[in-house]
Amino acid sequence: MFITDIKKDFYEVVANQRVALLVAGDIDALCACKILQALFHCDHIQYTLVPVTGWQELGTAFLEHKEQFRYFVLINCGANVDLLEMLQPDDDSIFFICDTHRPVDVVNVYNDTQIKLLIKQDDDLAVPSYDEIFRDEDEENEDDSGNESDEGSEPSGKRRRFDEGAVERRIERQRARREWEARRKEILFDYEQYEYHGTSAAMMVFELAWVLTKDTKDMLWWAIVGLTDQWVHDKITHMKYVTDVATMQRHVSRHSHRNEDEENSLSIDCMRISFEYDLRLTLYQHWSLYESICNSCYTCCHFKLWTLNGQKKLQEYLADMGLPLKQVKQKFNSMDMSIKENLREVIEESSNKYGIKDIRIQTFGAQFGFKNRFLASDMVHAAAALLESTEKDESDTDNFIKALDSLSRSNLNRLLSGIDLAKKKLIAIQQTVASCICTNLILSQGPFLYCYLMEGTPDVKLFSKPMALSLLCKYLLKAFVHSTRNKRCKLLPLVMAAPKDVEKGTIIVVGIPPESETSDKKNFFGRAFEKAAESTGSRTLHDHFDTSVIELKTEDRIKFLDALITLLS
Amino acid sequence: MMFCEKAVELVRELQRLSDGQLPAFNEDGLRQVLQEMESLYDQNQADVNEAKAGRTDFIPSIKLRHSCLLRNQRCVTAYLYDRLLRIRALRWEYGSVLPANVRFHMCAEEVEWFSQYKKSLASFMRSIGGGEGLDITQDMKPPKSLYIQVRCIKDHGEFEIDDGTVILLKKNSQHFLPRWKCEHLIRQGVLEHVLS
Repeated sequence: MFITDIKKDFYEVVANQRVALLVAGDIDALCACKILQALFHCDHIQYTLVPVTGWQELGTAFLEHKEQFRYFVLINCGANVDLLEMLQPDDDSIFFICDTHRPVDVVNVYNDTQIKLLIKQDDDLAVPSYDEIFRDEDEENEDDSGNESDEGSEPSGKRRRFDEGAVERRIERQRARREWEARRKEILFDYEQYEYHGTSAAMMVFELAWVLTKDTKDMLWWAIVGLTDQWVHDKITHMKYVTDVATMQRHVSRHSHRNEDEENSLSIDCMRISFEYDLRLTLYQHWSLYESICNSCYTCCHFKLWTLNGQKKLQEYLADMGLPLKQVKQKFNSMDMSIKENLREVIEESSNKYGIKDIRIQTFGAQFGFKNRFLASDMVHAAAALLESTEKDESDTDNFIKALDSLSRSNLNRLLSGIDLAKKKLIAIQQTVASCICTNLILSQGPFLYCYLMEGTPDVKLFSKPMALSLLCKYLLKAFVHSTRNKRCKLLPLVMAAPKDVEKGTIIVVGIPPESETSDKKNFFGRAFEKAAESTGSRTLHDHFDTSVIELKTEDRIKFLDALITLLS
Repeated sequence: MMFCEKAVELVRELQRLSDGQLPAFNEDGLRQVLQEMESLYDQNQADVNEAKAGRTDFIPSIKLRHSCLLRNQRCVTAYLYDRLLRIRALRWEYGSVLPANVRFHMCAEEVEWFSQYKKSLASFMRSIGGGEGLDITQDMKPPKSLYIQVRCIKDHGEFEIDDGTVILLKKNSQHFLPRWKCEHLIRQGVLEHVLS
């Protein structure tokens, strides 16, 4: 059931209890976790934090902890499956689920006792009504038997006529039931067909903090980073992002009114958050401007920097803005102040001239101390790179802890190492995109585009992780749409496969919806993958919380693909 | 012969061990001082009767003996009181069960006093902390927080805390637990204190 009063129905319930926190592996979840941890520290609520990367780990963690804990808080996992069916908990276990995955499973919505959803009821849900899906079977049978026993006492003369009437009514009832079931199936199919995402979990938990008036600037910053993660990894529509930014902007102005006061302004070491209408160049303040332009998806695709023409256009563009190459290629912080002063406006003007609209995007920046300035997207990329780092001897949980640490202000070293990893990852992505486009590795299979990264591809290890592969997928599709002349191909979704585990012989397959300005980011590949796997008997593992990411045995690749093509044609 | 010498020696004995150690109870010395006081008092009684009868030249010696008595009393009470203060400090250092060698140095009354003090302290600690009681002998200075965030560095299996609940300590899981429960695990290297 949906929780309406988050303070009374969630926080006060767990206030004197011990809680198990099961957190999924994405940046939004990490941010929500940080905010919740800070609240728990404030009120001395004992908890145990367990990172989970997939359904199997969730099941294991639950089994290990179910004896000791009664209350479980799940962050960014658990809403889109029948949780009670999957975990088989005792009757006194209670689950609080704060998850962005939609659609929310109908059993979770209508269960009144054990499942509490920390989701707003109007959060783009369109849940079918109770009567359309559930029906009390017992009433039906009682009616039938009741009528029959009545008829038994009638005199035999009239019995035949009454029997006919009763038989007709029964046939009518059975027909009505079959109709209802068919309609139910259709409704459920429509409801569960597309996978998409709702409001950021970090924002939900921040709202809880705000209702308790225990919100701090650090929590606000984490909420912003959670929201930005959804935007960077293309989980929400642009409209929703802008609306949520406006919500956050209200909180930011509430927290920053002290900055304006000249006499009593805060020390420079305090955290200041400001609303920025900043450039869409990834990590540009921690890199050189040139590198950032070459490795940001947006500019790279619009200039087509994998072609020679594109490179020339870039040089023209820089010259047009009056930025000397020497300046642009050095670290951003060392650029001349005179250039840095009006940089954003200058770039916007020039970009409009070159047909690159929306080079600026609404976002937030944080500053603490003289040296430390970060944009929200910088933190998202750094934390994502740390979370999915492929160093040897580092388990998933090690990476989770590192990424979680990097979000704290006191762990700047971690954050800076994350930024370095993010730069390497972005360069790898751009190079892979360039090589895929130039060697025509993207094939049109009819209803979708397909690309397979072979084992020897450079940096292919990076792409064995779901978030990195999804990012590559998104950039690749964008680049493809800009480079191809085939109008039909521009509207197709993309399926991408890359080797995941060489020893076990598996690959990871990801599907993303087509690229368009007004895309609603709804992804049907989850169901499609399931059906294709079923029909061919391929050995797949649907372990990830996003249903559009699966693991598949390399040998079954071809038949899986064929089934998918047939299914979607 | 000098009066009050024995008493001063008692005091000096304690002063020699200025680090708070408790020497053996000097029963002999105390008895000698008390005997001296008794003999001084008896002599004074006799002289006072004489003085009342009219011999005023005894008054200075009465005064002298009286001031010796007061001095002895002061030294003895200082001795006994200082020992009690040291015994009280032992409760905070060693806990409620004293090691045998220390107990050997205490006289019977001091042992009695110690157990009374223990009872007083225990009932006080039970009354604070919102009805649950709070063990204030844990930290000498008020701790920054009662609970600390710890991260598990290696698998330790199950771990039981005060109210009987069990926590599973698995590698890389994080927990928010009462400080005193974690101290010895932190010392062992199983848990790591996380400062955020």
